[in-house]
Amino acid sequence: MELTLNEKKLLVALEAVGSADAAALAEKMDARREAVVQYANLAGDRGLVDVEKHVSRRYVPTEEGRAYVGKGLPERQLLESFGETIPMRDLQAHPLAKIAIGWMRKKGWIAIRDGVVQKTGNTAPGSDEAAFARASESGAIADGEGVADLARRGLVEEEETVAYTVSITPRGRQLLAEGLDLQEETGTLTREQILSGAWKDLPLRRYDVGKLPKRAYPGKIHPYQRLIDEMRRVLLDMGFTEMAGGIVQSSFWNFDALFQPQDHPAREMQDTFFLGERWPLPAGYERVSDMHEHGGETSSTGWGGTWSAAKAEQCVLRTHTTSLSIQHLAEHPKPPVKAFCIGRVYRREAIDPTHLAEFEQLEGIVMDEGVNFRHLLGFLKEFYGKMGFEKVRFRPGYFPYTEPSVEPEVYVDGLGWVELGGAGIFRQEVTAPFGIEHPVLAWGLGISRVAMLRLGLRDLRQLYKSDVEWIRETPTYGGRR
Amino acid sequence: MAIITLPYRYLERLTGTDRQTIIDRVPMIGADIERIEEDHVDVEFFPDRPDLYSPEGVSRAMRGFLGIEEGLPVYPVRPSGITFSVDPGLADIRPFLGSAVIRNVSFDEEAIESLMSLQEALHWAVGRGRGKVAIGVHDLDAVTPPFRYIASPRDRSFVPLDFEQEMTLEEILTDHPKGRDYARLVEDFHRFPLIVDADDRVLSFPPIINGELTRVTTATKNILLDCTGTDRRAVMTAVNIICTALAEAGATIETVTVEGEEMPTLAPAERIVSVEECASLLGLPLSAQEMARLLCRMRFGAEPDGDSRVRILVPCYRADILHDWDVFEDVAIAYGFENFDAALPATATVGEEHPITAIAGAVRSVMIGLGYLEMMPFTLTNERVLYANMQREHLPGTLQVLHPISEEQTLVRTDLLGLLMEMLQANKHRELPQRLFAVGDVVEACATFQKFAAVSIHPAADFSEVYAAADVLCRELSLPYTVVESADPAFLDGRRGDIIVDGRKVGVFGEIHPAVLKAFDLEHPVAAFALDLTAVPGYPAPPGTP
Repeated sequence: MELTLNEKKLLVALEAVGSADAAALAEKMDARREAVVQYANLAGDRGLVDVEKHVSRRYVPTEEGRAYVGKGLPERQLLESFGETIPMRDLQAHPLAKIAIGWMRKKGWIAIRDGVVQKTGNTAPGSDEAAFARASESGAIADGEGVADLARRGLVEEEETVAYTVSITPRGRQLLAEGLDLQEETGTLTREQILSGAWKDLPLRRYDVGKLPKRAYPGKIHPYQRLIDEMRRVLLDMGFTEMAGGIVQSSFWNFDALFQPQDHPAREMQDTFFLGERWPLPAGYERVSDMHEHGGETSSTGWGGTWSAAKAEQCVLRTHTTSLSIQHLAEHPKPPVKAFCIGRVYRREAIDPTHLAEFEQLEGIVMDEGVNFRHLLGFLKEFYGKMGFEKVRFRPGYFPYTEPSVEPEVYVDGLGWVELGGAGIFRQEVTAPFGIEHPVLAWGLGISRVAMLRLGLRDLRQLYKSDVEWIRETPTYGGRR
Repeated sequence: MAIITLPYRYLERLTGTDRQTIIDRVPMIGADIERIEEDHVDVEFFPDRPDLYSPEGVSRAMRGFLGIEEGLPVYPVRPSGITFSVDPGLADIRPFLGSAVIRNVSFDEEAIESLMSLQEALHWAVGRGRGKVAIGVHDLDAVTPPFRYIASPRDRSFVPLDFEQEMTLEEILTDHPKGRDYARLVEDFHRFPLIVDADDRVLSFPPIINGELTRVTTATKNILLDCTGTDRRAVMTAVNIICTALAEAGATIETVTVEGEEMPTLAPAERIVSVEECASLLGLPLSAQEMARLLCRMRFGAEPDGDSRVRILVPCYRADILHDWDVFEDVAIAYGFENFDAALPATATVGEEHPITAIAGAVRSVMIGLGYLEMMPFTLTNERVLYANMQREHLPGTLQVLHPISEEQTLVRTDLLGLLMEMLQANKHRELPQRLFAVGDVVEACATFQKFAAVSIHPAADFSEVYAAADVLCRELSLPYTVVESADPAFLDGRRGDIIVDGRKVGVFGEIHPAVLKAFDLEHPVAAFALDLTAVPGYPAPPGTP
């Protein structure tokens, strides 16, 4: 049995008295009472001492009560402030009148007649006053007659005190009799002790491996950012170049360049965050306007009607990162282009656990000679596979700027097939005005959906208004692969 | 999105197959099953296929897709002899009118409801909330041709649907529920669109409400259809979809002569498409013969035109075929998305990280080394968090959202520090110390760029702690800087410094002002620092703008 030095000291302190209060022991051992209780519990576990806990309740004056200490209860003070009678009006001027008059009447000490207060003569102190006097004297009283009345009036309050009595057991005595080595134990080694080799002769304190010290928390990348970085790594590995760009876009780049008709419901203020700002149209915008009105030089009919430049100049908070994709393609019209972006997008949605007005979208595009629909499905399978979704299937979908369009679904254990994002080949009405001559494969997904699946979240808001505790408790490495 | 109710018995009778086959296969023509019920299924169809917004339309498509009946559906029309005139005064109000007569309908309550829901779905998808197209159906036998579509004075009156009293057009806009819903579409005009018969009786006040006079009931045998609007193509799409759906249900269609034009023809549009273009888009080496066969399953008329082309007839109800690729998508759907062999192209490319995210990544690795936790606050915030609580002046380049969804999200953030203070407030009950940082986009005068901020809260948080941390970050980002005393009111005087790079203030650090702490309901000192990441060497210029 390896006792700590403190346990040994405790046994020594108990040798003469056999049993003592923890506070007394603390004084004797020059330690804090809490520490002595801790040593005693440790020694208690080994059967060397018995620890007895006594809980006692007592009553101490409250803040209001302390104001009356030494002076007496307010009704007594008021009673003694006048002779046999006093006009009510005069009595009411006394600072304690508000509280005291009611009590004097209740206790039957006074009678009020025609606006005059008269003592009844029956003014002997009650048990409450006696209890209060005791509390005034000693600072605290045990429960007893009158105390409950004082507590109800909020003049005293209950206070719980805990005392510990520590008694040495026969086994403890036996150990003492065998003799204890009271040399100080060494905690942290010093430079001197290490260099001189003195550590070899020192009694080194042994630590309890069953006891975890206070928890430490490291600095951490946000769990959602780690997921984003994982997706970025997958796409960089697949040979994609990363794009970044502005949150604020003109309607031209957010909608018109993507052949979204100007009367499309997504362009109404119910669905999109519009700003008061306007932004001039880029050079060559006429090719886009011609595409909307007549289908340009493609086999398209266009949307018909008249295209409004003013409508295209209105700025919005980007509703998708596709606005960055089309600008990237306009700047790089020659193949091959493989690019991706993960960025925040904005929808005018009422916020609830599964809908936010802003969230991250991932988007990938591939433009190359000879790429086709089968390649689009190939990229989707590869990407989702690398994200850990082994089973992927495809259904026809609809997006205004792609044709054909696909809705990919992934299989999630416990949920079945889950729709995850959308994909398609950019319509020629989108690519032709920018001189892009080869098919553009495109796909996108709201990655907060993936985050909910991977991080087991019920409320998307946790991603953006995070509980520190959640970040501290979410492991950096989830154990996948 | 349009969710269409498909009653099994009716659908099975029209399609000629069992409900399970339909439920299993309908997603593969482009639909999401919403709910499977005892006697019906609710299916969501895409906005580009309004021809699928009725059981008749779905059945027509499924018969082809399942190989029960392929090729172009033909809808004979014969003249009704009825004429309809259009008042030139409508040119600037609601110029286009489409019309047809539909005879021998037999409605039960369910069929009327189905027609009404088709009408509503078309109002949404084709009519853009009735502005572009509004549809009216009338009991033809209650009125007398010829009909006139006129621009009427606003004080004319009639009995609108669901009312017993006559109301003026103006009263309808204020007192009738439909009038209130759609008043914005006409209220600015001096005259209102109105449809009247030979005896000057009112059929309809488009796009608001029909008259009670021509209400369609189970006793109705013949229908007059009116579609009015601002876009001719959309108006005719609505006419074609309704006529062909009712024809599928057994009615016969007759033409109406509108200003000399006999309509509808319900005739297909011809298109000649390239076999090679389709094959290379889809990655499928189909012959002209195979392509035509697949298109017939999608209810096109299609036949090879030599080996390299296919001549197709597009059914009049297909509003979505704008471009040849729209036809090729139908080839892919008929082929079956599940039958495609996914492949990766051979071109090798090298991935490249964007410099902005590279810098953000470097910031993260330094900050976690300093023991800070990353936060990813919203970019939409408000005056209180951004400026008022921070005791800072409202920045002139701050963008304001025109129609915010809540008081919490009215501005686009120009800085991150206030958002981190808000985060500390939300985490007040969590163990201290808390050291938090964020890196992300901010916007000033339409330009997006990245900023960084960090906060440290605990009883001993002070100037020296953040000065040391700010110094670490700048050194690790290879950012040579100097420090001068700061005047930032968010910080405590005498305990704040500005980070200067090339003579420009790019950051600030120090102890947060106690009044700011109070505003965020915090009870311990907070030391904070912030940095504009455009100062970091290698940050690409210019910052992103629209």
